Amino acid sequence: MSAASVLREQILSLVRQYHEAQFPVRPFAPGHDLAHYAGRVFDAEELCHLVDSSLDFFLTANRYAERFEAEFSDYLGLSDALLVNSGSSANLVAVTSLTSPKLGERRLKPGDEVLTVAAGFPTTLAPILQNSLVPVFVDVNLGDYTADPNRLADAIGPKTRAIVMAHTLGVPFDLDAVGELAKKHDLWLIEDNCDALGSRYRDRLTGTFGHLGTMSFYPAHHITMGEGGCVVTNDERLARIARSFRDWGRDCYCAGGESNTCGTRFSQQFGTLPHGFDHKYVYSHVGYNLKVTDMQAAIGCAQLQKLDTFIARRRANFDWLLNALRPYEDRLLLPRATPHSAPSWFGFAITVRDGAGFTRAELVRFLEANRIETRSLFAGNLLRHPAFTGIPHRVVGGLANTDTVMHQTFFVGVYPGLDRARLEHMASAFARFMRGERAGGL
Amino acid sequence: MAVAQKLQCAVERIVDHGEHVYTLVLRPDRPAPRFRAGQFLHLALDPYDPTGFWPESRVFSIASSPDDRSAVRVTYAVHGQFTARMESEIREGGRVWIKMPYGDFVIDSPGDVVLFAGGTGISAFTAYLEALSPPASDRSYVLGYGARTAELLIYKDVVDRSAARVPALDVTWFVETGAIPSSRIGDPTRWLPGRVSVAALWTQIRRPRESDFYISGPPAMLAAVAADLRARQVAPEAIHIDAWE
Ligand SMILES: Cc1cc2nc3c(=O)[nH]c(=O)nc-3n(C[C@H](O)[C@H](O)[C@H](O)COP(=O)(O)OP(=O)(O)OC[C@H]3O[C@@H](n4cnc5c(N)ncnc54)[C@H](O)[C@@H]3O)c2cc1C
Ligand SMILES: Cc1ncc(COP(=O)(O)O)c(C=O)c1O
Repeated sequence: MSAASVLREQILSLVRQYHEAQFPVRPFAPGHDLAHYAGRVFDAEELCHLVDSSLDFFLTANRYAERFEAEFSDYLGLSDALLVNSGSSANLVAVTSLTSPKLGERRLKPGDEVLTVAAGFPTTLAPILQNSLVPVFVDVNLGDYTADPNRLADAIGPKTRAIVMAHTLGVPFDLDAVGELAKKHDLWLIEDNCDALGSRYRDRLTGTFGHLGTMSFYPAHHITMGEGGCVVTNDERLARIARSFRDWGRDCYCAGGESNTCGTRFSQQFGTLPHGFDHKYVYSHVGYNLKVTDMQAAIGCAQLQKLDTFIARRRANFDWLLNALRPYEDRLLLPRATPHSAPSWFGFAITVRDGAGFTRAELVRFLEANRIETRSLFAGNLLRHPAFTGIPHRVVGGLANTDTVMHQTFFVGVYPGLDRARLEHMASAFARFMRGERAGGL
Repeated sequence: MAVAQKLQCAVERIVDHGEHVYTLVLRPDRPAPRFRAGQFLHLALDPYDPTGFWPESRVFSIASSPDDRSAVRVTYAVHGQFTARMESEIREGGRVWIKMPYGDFVIDSPGDVVLFAGGTGISAFTAYLEALSPPASDRSYVLGYGARTAELLIYKDVVDRSAARVPALDVTWFVETGAIPSSRIGDPTRWLPGRVSVAALWTQIRRPRESDFYISGPPAMLAAVAADLRARQVAPEAIHIDAWE
């Protein structure tokens, strides 16, 4: 072993010790510790991976990124997984890829319509607008918070070319209906799977149904890299286009620090460039740079090993909470899965029913006062936000439920960091609130 | 393109075809990633440290079948400095690094397929030919495969096996110099002297307007065959070239 590898081993062994010292498991202190809605869950492995990759000092995507992309695409059973620096970037790359001239007549053009929902996260919608496409909004179901499939069929017009939707909080939207529509009308389908890694529909993983799927590895998500995301596809042509948009728009697909991967770096003809112009600097798209560092990917490799356990914990926590909150169903609309689906739950969504006798604000204030984190179902109704009020769009069939989500829905956590003590604390807070206790103390 | 991976391989076997043409059978330490017939790999001679940069390498068509990812085969001819190093440095039992898969040169036409292979260029087609099965419909396959001598038709066996299995595969062999092997007299396949040419194959092509043409071989052959096809009004989109630098 070289001196460097001996030192590396020593450093990593110290990192393990450091992890034990810095991040010991402490018993939950109700009322003091937060019952987070989500958060990173890690052990010494993640720290070791991170330090190991930092010691390479390669910095840009390298061995860990290669490993993550290979293992993740295998996990999903797809040909390609492309790491990007966030779920939002994944959506940007996925939607923008569909505008590529390389897709000929099938490419999305300015003014083409894209079906989506307004009850969701802004960067599912943003890339539609950033590409001068026109969103067409349909309402969502209360309880599963995914698009009402009947409304989707009604929304299709002569300019509709694509469907871009999220599996909200891990709940798969009706992929039977959406798949059929996409087929019948020759629509592109992008699944924003940022909140649904591990969810299944008819036993198949979500994110693998559409032409492209997207993932987020922000700390709140099923696995994390800090910042990070992924575009996945089983279409090698789309993968090549997506890689180009991710990597400055270049035609060449060499990874950072590589050249002549195509073997014909100096012997091709592109546009009106001189013959043999360096392929590494030939641009076939108006692109971005949305790549990750190898350190992010290194953390992801350690997290990926834990994914199945994480998914199981999320499901178990969800079931436990559902059971605990069942008695309040008259006042709270509890979350439910869509038919044929097995969600890998992102959160536990609750809508305060009309006539409950209290408001969402009161309940949320009580929970937060008891150190239980809550979140809105993201934007509620995106169309009511300053950024989106003036956008060109269509709404089909009204957005009554979306407005209900905005006024009456919130979610609490089910993430693997919630142990039994935290769940019990959450259940007890709900119980006390339902008995009439209000914000102010434990 | 599937996610490309870097793999260390044992050199299991080296087949010397003569005239500085070799086939390497490489056994990667873990199964090679999925690839499609016609794709290529990079081969490096200098050791690769995964924490650093990929060393100098050259690209070679993956000549083995995508169905077997436990071993990978490439065939190379010594041309310049790097392939000369390969000839002198690679030994059976030695180790090399590869990264794969790369390339868009995949034969995915749903209709009639015409293949032109010159020399080691056949390696871009062998994976396809090995996986070829008798078509369900009225499809036809035409292959023109040429080399300098009959001995250098190194993938003769693969082609023979495919032709025996798939009657819809029509094969014409081209040999530039030397005699046509006596064992080949009375063959169902055709043997012609000279270089691979469009003219010699044209009558074998049943529906030239509805066929896709794939060309792999030395640059001069690529240029000549492509120019001849264009002169015969074959649409540029139907001409696919595996351009080797
Ligand atoms: C898609 C494709 C598939 C191929 N498949 C095969 C195959 O199956 N069998 C086969 O025999 N050959 C194949 N080739 C060609 C092979 O990759 C070699 O380029 C060729 O054999 C030239 O020989 P050489 O590398 O020894 O020549 P060299 O003299 O070493 O160089 C040849 C070319 O390599 C480039 N080059 C030179 N130095 C460097 C360097 N330091 N770093 C990077 N590039 C450099 C230059 O562009 C030069 O023109 C293929 C090429 C391509 C593009
Ligand atoms: C549905 C959905 N899409 C996209 C994103 C964006 O992901 P990121 O935060 O990694 O940019 C989020 C973020 O939580 C999300 O919930």
